[in-house]
Amino acid sequence: MTQTVKAAKKTSSAKAKATPEAKAKAPAVTKAVPEAKKPTSKKKQALAFPFTAIVGQEEMKLSLILNIIDPRIGGVLVMGHRGTGKSTTVRALAEVLPLITRVKDDIYNRTVEQYVEAESGKKGAAALNPEDVKTELIPVPVVDLPLGATEDRVCGTIDIEKALTSGVKAFEPGLLAQSNRGFLYIDEVNLLDDHLVDVLLDVAASGKNVVEREGISIRHPARFVLVGSGNPEEGELRPQLLDRFGLHARIITINDVSKRVDIVKRRREYDEDPEAYMKKCTREQQKLQKKIVAAQDLLTQVTMDDKVLTDIARLCMNLGIDGHRGELTITRTAYAYAAYLGKTVVTMEHVKAIAGLCLRHRLRKDPLETVDAGEKIDRELSKVLGEAEATA
Amino acid sequence: MIAFTDIVGMDLAKQALMLLAVDPSLGGVVIPSAVGSGKSTLARAFADILPEDTPFVELPLNVTEDRLIGGVDLEATLASGQRVVQHGVLSKAHKGVLYVDSLSLLDSSAVSHIMDAMSRGVVLVEREGLSEVHPADFMLVGTYDPSDGEVRMGLLDRIGIIVPFTAQNDYRARKKIVSIVMGTRDSEDTEDELRMLRGLIEAAKVQLSHVSMTNDQIQGLIQTAISLGVEGNRVDIFAIRAAIASAALAQRTEVDDEDLKLAMKLVLVPRATRMPEREATDEEMAQDEPPPPEEESEAEDENAPPDNPDADAEEEQEETPDMIEELMMDAIETELPDNILNISLASKKKAKSGSRGEALNNRRGRFVRAQEGEMKSGKVALIPTLISAAPWQKSRKQDKKMDGRPAGALIINKDDVKIKKFRDKSGTLFIFMVDASGSMALNRMRQAKGAVASLLQNAYVHRDQVALISFRGKQAQVLLPPSQSVDRAKRELDVLPTGGGTPLASALFTGWETAKQARTKGISQIMFVMITDGRGNIPLQAAYDPNAEKAPKEQLEKEIEALALSIQADGIASIVVDTQMNYLSRGEAPKLAQKLGGRYFYLPNAKAEQIVEAALS
Repeated sequence: MTQTVKAAKKTSSAKAKATPEAKAKAPAVTKAVPEAKKPTSKKKQALAFPFTAIVGQEEMKLSLILNIIDPRIGGVLVMGHRGTGKSTTVRALAEVLPLITRVKDDIYNRTVEQYVEAESGKKGAAALNPEDVKTELIPVPVVDLPLGATEDRVCGTIDIEKALTSGVKAFEPGLLAQSNRGFLYIDEVNLLDDHLVDVLLDVAASGKNVVEREGISIRHPARFVLVGSGNPEEGELRPQLLDRFGLHARIITINDVSKRVDIVKRRREYDEDPEAYMKKCTREQQKLQKKIVAAQDLLTQVTMDDKVLTDIARLCMNLGIDGHRGELTITRTAYAYAAYLGKTVVTMEHVKAIAGLCLRHRLRKDPLETVDAGEKIDRELSKVLGEAEATA
Repeated sequence: MIAFTDIVGMDLAKQALMLLAVDPSLGGVVIPSAVGSGKSTLARAFADILPEDTPFVELPLNVTEDRLIGGVDLEATLASGQRVVQHGVLSKAHKGVLYVDSLSLLDSSAVSHIMDAMSRGVVLVEREGLSEVHPADFMLVGTYDPSDGEVRMGLLDRIGIIVPFTAQNDYRARKKIVSIVMGTRDSEDTEDELRMLRGLIEAAKVQLSHVSMTNDQIQGLIQTAISLGVEGNRVDIFAIRAAIASAALAQRTEVDDEDLKLAMKLVLVPRATRMPEREATDEEMAQDEPPPPEEESEAEDENAPPDNPDADAEEEQEETPDMIEELMMDAIETELPDNILNISLASKKKAKSGSRGEALNNRRGRFVRAQEGEMKSGKVALIPTLISAAPWQKSRKQDKKMDGRPAGALIINKDDVKIKKFRDKSGTLFIFMVDASGSMALNRMRQAKGAVASLLQNAYVHRDQVALISFRGKQAQVLLPPSQSVDRAKRELDVLPTGGGTPLASALFTGWETAKQARTKGISQIMFVMITDGRGNIPLQAAYDPNAEKAPKEQLEKEIEALALSIQADGIASIVVDTQMNYLSRGEAPKLAQKLGGRYFYLPNAKAEQIVEAALS
């Protein structure tokens, strides 16, 4: 971005952001709001276990990959037994994610279009030429939302240090800003505090984060793929939040001895020398990443027959699923799945493979129901498929 | 201070701590034990065998979220005018020990934070304007008395070693302990012993990387884990680490059967969800004699066509012979309207007043917002306070009265102060106590089950929880500890035994204990829903003394009355639902309701919905 643009932005936002309260009370100057900061450096954590070295748990892995290919699927909820590698898998995701382009140093990871639209929409701002905006490539952000996070850190708040030292009211972006166009991960999501759940529901529905507090007023894009994991024995998830997740992967303890031996061996090898193990998996990791990028490119060419769409609708109807999110999710997911397999036409086979993931959490919940949701879906699916064949 | 080597008995616990000292990646050691067994003394003495300067941090039960995770250091920040970060307890235990006494009483949000830190090895601080990562790679040592309640399974899953439950030490051992406390032992001996032990552990640490384990041994441990129904894969790794640490302590390069047995005893058996198929049928045997090495050789054969894949294993869980003898009950759906949740506790005289679900207060719970207030009346919310003070700094500093203060110091007036408002994380705990004795048991169970299921379905709205206690035979039994989980309730309620005597006093006692435990975890509103004819015929003692099954009527009545009055005085709300046919009833249930200060409903053949209607009237 050029110097002149920056200056223009500053003056305009200063006008907009000086709230009555601030005017009345604060003798200090109110100055620019989003202060372009250095991009928050990626938090240094221990090296993650490689995604491609995770044994089994195909449902969870596929769900995550499909969400990379098409983030509009709406995220994934991973529920299951303790100690089965739920969070290990999600944290391993970062290493296979492709790169995205954002406006250089933009705290909201915006694309050039988003940036130009937002900034030139402001009062008094000079017209922006997209070609003047500098960009950079960054890995798709994966942001961890810990249970103990406070609302101000999630939504963003006034930069207290600046407020104290110079009396300037600057916005310090929160986790929602960081996760724009990326993944927002909540481990033990079923234990998340209610008021944070409210915030998430709000933002997930609108794709925007609106902050009106402590004398600042900010609105910024916050579109993220929501990934949650947890153990159902620790508690239930709010139904509204459950509904927000595009896919629901289930995970259970592997009871196959040789697989478990394999898991243990890989883990021990990794623990001994994480870097060496990572290196060993580099090829596999790169292969997967390439496959994902190829699927992303192919996605625009994928088509679906109307007949398949009818079958999807019939399946959802027979299962008594409220609203249309079920159909929509199945369709998007089936597109992504076809693209992942390198196909350009979605068939019922693709739908069959992902229907459980899309619908499991959308069936009406009955605590005394003994039939597993997955079985129920399969049963209806084969009925629909049978009918389809009969009519054909 | 009593030294590690001076502690008598608890050999298994000592062994466990030594393994942990050798390999801290075992995560931790949990020691469940009765009061007075010396478990906390032992845990504290653990520091003796660790290298010098290893942090040893004891976590107070009433720890706040700020202190646990870390945050802004109020005093230092005010004094210097710059944000000073204070590390939390979790981070202070980095590379050392975090010790929690009464682990089962720790509140659930603290448990979640500990779990999170243990799975990451760091603490993510995303609070009050801070965004930092603090290292928090610690060993967790926890002790608790199982009669205070159980530790959350999710936490246990991250702790490698669970010492099998030990009751009180025997008389002789206790006498010895006393003599040690009185200082009759030579302190020089102690010092020598400790030095030796530390040397042994250091040597074992070096040995650790030289210990090898065969494929068969690894398979054997995993096979055992599977046949015990241990959940998850993390435990496999702990078992292997424990076996290797054990071999290292003995300065061996190969894991032997003793090491495997120890790993099974300390890591696998305490997490068993079912008895192994071919082995011991009761818990005692399983603990004393973990599946012998034959298991391992068999495991090899199992590779080709496995004789028990998942499906088989599931079935076996339900078909333990003991359970088959009991009368099984089908899950029968009762329709229950949603509005059972609206039973207003506030309207009950004895119950604590206040709106359901949340109560704002100045001290406990989760920090929700800051409000103006006196510094003394609560905890100061630093950031909001600073925000309100910030704009005035320039003008205040120019004020002459402030001369002589350090240059960077902030000037904060009384008006700037904001205090934190917390929200109690509490819904209501409904404790269902269902009379599973006699012939009407099936009917009552059905009603209770419908009610529990329906309550749970709506539980997340109010954060309500449900517990279920059944009473029959000699004593009451908690079938479902306070829970919000539909999944778990479904599983626990699938098999409900019925028939036998009516230990009503035991039910009241067990319910009261459950209520007390819930209170320590921040649930203040509790309601008993008793489905019974109120005719108790088994005294409390019967639970401990098989010869005490019969008792005079007066004694039975006295027990029940004393318990009921105490429960009432404790602010627990109750309803009693009597489903007995009229001609059989002798008025015991109304009496019970009266003593409990609760309401009584007579509903022969009641459907669950009728219970609700009555309760709402």
